[in-house]
Amino acid sequence: MAIEFRKNLALFRDVVSVEEAEPLLEWLQKKPAGRVDLADCTHLHAANLQVLMAACASVKAWPKDPFFADWLRAALLRPH
Amino acid sequence: MAKTILYVDDSTTMVMSVRSTLEMNGFKVETAGDGEAAYAKLKSGLKPDLIITDINMPKMNGIELIKQVKALPGFRFTPILTLTTEGSSDRRDEAKKLGATGWLVKPVAGPDLVKVIKQLLPGA
Amino acid sequence: MTPLLEQFLSEARDFLQGIGEKLMQLEKAPADAELMTELFRFVHTLKGNSGLFDFPEMTRVLHAGEDLMDAVRQGRVAYSQELADRLLDAMDFIGMLCDEIELNGAIGSAYAAESARLGASLRQLISVPGTAVEGVPLAVPSSTEQPIPTPAALPPLETLPEVVRMAAFRLAHEGEPLHWLTYTPEEGCFFSGDDPFFQARQTPGVLWGGVVAREAWPKLLEVDAYRCILDFHLLTTASRADLDEYYRYMPEQIRRVAIPALALVQPQGDPNGGPVYEDFVVEALDTLGRGDNGSLAHAARTMLELSNPDLWLASALRWLLLLLELEPDNHAAQGVVIESLRNLETIDWLAVTAMAPSVEDEPCTAAETRMSPVEMSPEEMSPEEQASLAALVATQRAILGLPIEAAWQMGRVRAVISTLSGCLRACQREDEIAGLEAASAAALDDASAAPLLDWLDRHFSTESVAPAPAAPEHKATEAAPVVVLPAEDTKSAGEGEGDVKFGRRAEDAFSGPKSLKVEQAKIDLLMNLIGEIVVAKNALPYLAGRAETVFGVRELSREIKAQYAVINRIAEEMQDAIMQVRMMPVSFVFQRFPRLVRDISRKLGKEVKLVLEGEETEADKNIIESLGDPLVHIVRNSLDHGFELPEVRRAAGKPSEGTLTIRATQESDRVVIEIQDDGKGIDPEVVKRKAYEKGLIDETTLERLSDQEAVNLVFAAGFSTAEVISDLSGRGVGMDVVRTAIEKVNGAIALDSEKGRGTRIRLSLPLSMAVTNVMIIESDGQIFGLPMDNVVETVRVARTDIRTIKRSMATVLRGRIVPLKSLNKLLGLATPPIANDQDELAVLVVRLGEESVGLLVDDFRETVDIILKPMTGVLAGLGCYSGSALMGDGSVLMVLNVKELM
Repeated sequence: MAIEFRKNLALFRDVVSVEEAEPLLEWLQKKPAGRVDLADCTHLHAANLQVLMAACASVKAWPKDPFFADWLRAALLRPH
Repeated sequence: MAKTILYVDDSTTMVMSVRSTLEMNGFKVETAGDGEAAYAKLKSGLKPDLIITDINMPKMNGIELIKQVKALPGFRFTPILTLTTEGSSDRRDEAKKLGATGWLVKPVAGPDLVKVIKQLLPGA
Repeated sequence: MTPLLEQFLSEARDFLQGIGEKLMQLEKAPADAELMTELFRFVHTLKGNSGLFDFPEMTRVLHAGEDLMDAVRQGRVAYSQELADRLLDAMDFIGMLCDEIELNGAIGSAYAAESARLGASLRQLISVPGTAVEGVPLAVPSSTEQPIPTPAALPPLETLPEVVRMAAFRLAHEGEPLHWLTYTPEEGCFFSGDDPFFQARQTPGVLWGGVVAREAWPKLLEVDAYRCILDFHLLTTASRADLDEYYRYMPEQIRRVAIPALALVQPQGDPNGGPVYEDFVVEALDTLGRGDNGSLAHAARTMLELSNPDLWLASALRWLLLLLELEPDNHAAQGVVIESLRNLETIDWLAVTAMAPSVEDEPCTAAETRMSPVEMSPEEMSPEEQASLAALVATQRAILGLPIEAAWQMGRVRAVISTLSGCLRACQREDEIAGLEAASAAALDDASAAPLLDWLDRHFSTESVAPAPAAPEHKATEAAPVVVLPAEDTKSAGEGEGDVKFGRRAEDAFSGPKSLKVEQAKIDLLMNLIGEIVVAKNALPYLAGRAETVFGVRELSREIKAQYAVINRIAEEMQDAIMQVRMMPVSFVFQRFPRLVRDISRKLGKEVKLVLEGEETEADKNIIESLGDPLVHIVRNSLDHGFELPEVRRAAGKPSEGTLTIRATQESDRVVIEIQDDGKGIDPEVVKRKAYEKGLIDETTLERLSDQEAVNLVFAAGFSTAEVISDLSGRGVGMDVVRTAIEKVNGAIALDSEKGRGTRIRLSLPLSMAVTNVMIIESDGQIFGLPMDNVVETVRVARTDIRTIKRSMATVLRGRIVPLKSLNKLLGLATPPIANDQDELAVLVVRLGEESVGLLVDDFRETVDIILKPMTGVLAGLGCYSGSALMGDGSVLMVLNVKELM
């Protein structure tokens, strides 16, 4: 698993695969205030991205790769 | 983590060629000579990150293999590429409809093959 | 030769064999869809394999074959004998190329013309009139492009960060194309293994990317993680071709719009309450009107320093400065930017494009190309592609215009051919390839470029490839796009390469095939080694004998004998096992006959049904291989001379279709092959007369010969019944050659025939030549071996029973006269044969064809199994020996060749 679920924080590591979107969604459904840490994430599958977008998840740390971080900021910080 | 690729083709020549290309590029390669053999490997626990399959094969052809793989638990998201010769666009479209991710055209040059795979597999 | 090439050749031969067989079977069941699919698969795979190497001559023919079979498989072209003929011809050619590659590692230039001819001949069968449907592409045309960016089509560029747009603007001025790409993945795309986010991130040349949901998000509890509702927007410097290539699996999911550089010029920021910069605007426009760029830039910079950088004003000034730098003469555009300070509204560049001519490029030409649908291929070509095509064609024309002075210069022509056929494929004009190949064949045949130039004029008239109105800002050649902004992006590919790791093969549980292909030499070595073991073990009985007689230890002698029995058993089993490895089914030889019979009978206008029986019967590889040529000869003979024409057969009350049966059976340690036809048989009278005319028999023999003996005269050297030497079996080779070949491997041949009813030829061959059972005889103090196959019996004949008739000796055995010959005499030894105590001479009666001859020897010894090694070097010239063998005591046994001896 590339996502480690802690009390109120989901830690993303390396490449987060499509299979992990479902558990992520369930976690966010249970913990609407849950935050995500993407610092060590190099990529997440679009399914995870849309789960984060749908949940308006707040991001504790952005990826180290600045261009990847730009993509995610554009997606997650956009008001909707 | 090296990515595992299952390559299915009844031509030993192609298997030899593709295997060496992929291994040179750091992939772990499993092979099968027809759809039936590939399916058996998947059922017995092989979990490749990508499947590349020929279409025209004895016993179980690539189209049938795609159908079977997509119905197999744990493989619904596994990317599948077909490797066909030019001029079989109808077959590859059929494959695409059944859930194949894309196709490669034989003869595929090593760098192109690797390029397409890297386009599909994050972290490859 | 690389292992890959070796593998290719070996597999190619298997496929060729398979193709031949399937075609034969299809002949009987032309509607069998499964056979058709198999056949297609063979041709298809073989072609795919050939593409791994640079064998254009081979690939061309296979490609044509594949297309043809595909058309047949889909019912677009009907299967016909003509089709089978051409395909078989083509496969023969491929087989020849395989031989050539094996021999020289490459295909010589001599094959190009034939390859083109065969390819064209196959394609000819596909291009049946009325199949124009082929030209319609099955896939959706690549992607939708707006011909002219309408207001609705211009993407919301102003939402992009200014820094991104400015960088893009600079890139555009350096000649990079700019595209706005909208990627709308299918809802179910995750289940096709797609990751649209990764796909979008890796887009070549991407400068900026955004993700939006295309519908409002449902409540979190109702979200389906696996129904993709994301849209991706990107600004990229990739060329249209690169984008199409990158998104080729999902052309219908992308929309790309060429972005005029000026569209990027959009001030953004805090309007700060309203238009209060009127003074600056008036002054600036005035300076602009005077064309004083320097003063304008100075004023702008000063103003910029005084302003908060987040203001709309600051943004507009930065754009103005950039415009002054990059488009100093585009006063219109500069004016528009200055004007925007008045209303603080997003600039509608489309309304002012008339003033900015450099904006227009791609869309215009795309619209133009639509106007000539006749010339256009289904897939539209971009202006870049059109320009490249025109340039390519022009170059080929120039090359063809060069004089051809030497044969090697035809290589240029071949290169042109391959380029042109590539061009046709690239612009989906595949239906014209057949024409090109015909022209190519003509060109290669005449060693002249003229046919190709003609073809070029007809198919690429200068107008049809006239370069589209040039896009001034675009370089004609767009190499890999250079990504400037996100430096990290370009790195990822390089990092991936650094990951290369070797030596993973050991982890693979590679399940190997169940059969092995082993080099013959390795088996031969095994064979030799087991031969030596057999010989070595034979030393043990000697040793046992010595233990008892010389050293007097009977106990030890018994133990050695017991041990010998064990070793002997194992050695024999091992020998058997190795022989089994060498065993091959006769089908190896039989498989060529369906094709052969079909081809020859069709050529001769005869109807012949071939029946093969006992194909699984096995014999040693050498035997099977030695069987090939004689069998072909016999079958040809039968087709040529045996079977009558259909009308003759009907007149004789026979079915018009004749039956040729080739049957293999095993009879104890021999394999028997019968070739039987129901043709006209052999007329003994005709044979006798012929033989007499040719001086093969004298008049008395002519009278005396039985019919059975007469028909066997066809085996006599120099006999051929054919009235005319036919193209097929004639060639001056008769049945005597067949007989010699069969006898060489210790085989026998017999023929019986009934006039009007047919002929049957029976070949009997040993199962294996590896082990020979010989009888050892003694003569003049030496020992010799004689193959048991030749031996009829051993007798002792009293000297008094030997008669001398006309200086040759003979005796009577069971009422038959048997001529006697002294072995010593035959070997040129002066010593007379030695008689035993009762004055009896040892006579070894041997078979010599139909006759029996007695050999006078000194004594008989035991029979042994030996591994017969043929004579080598100078000794090979000694016909009287068939070979030698090593004996258990280390001595060498010479094995006599009875036939040569006489």
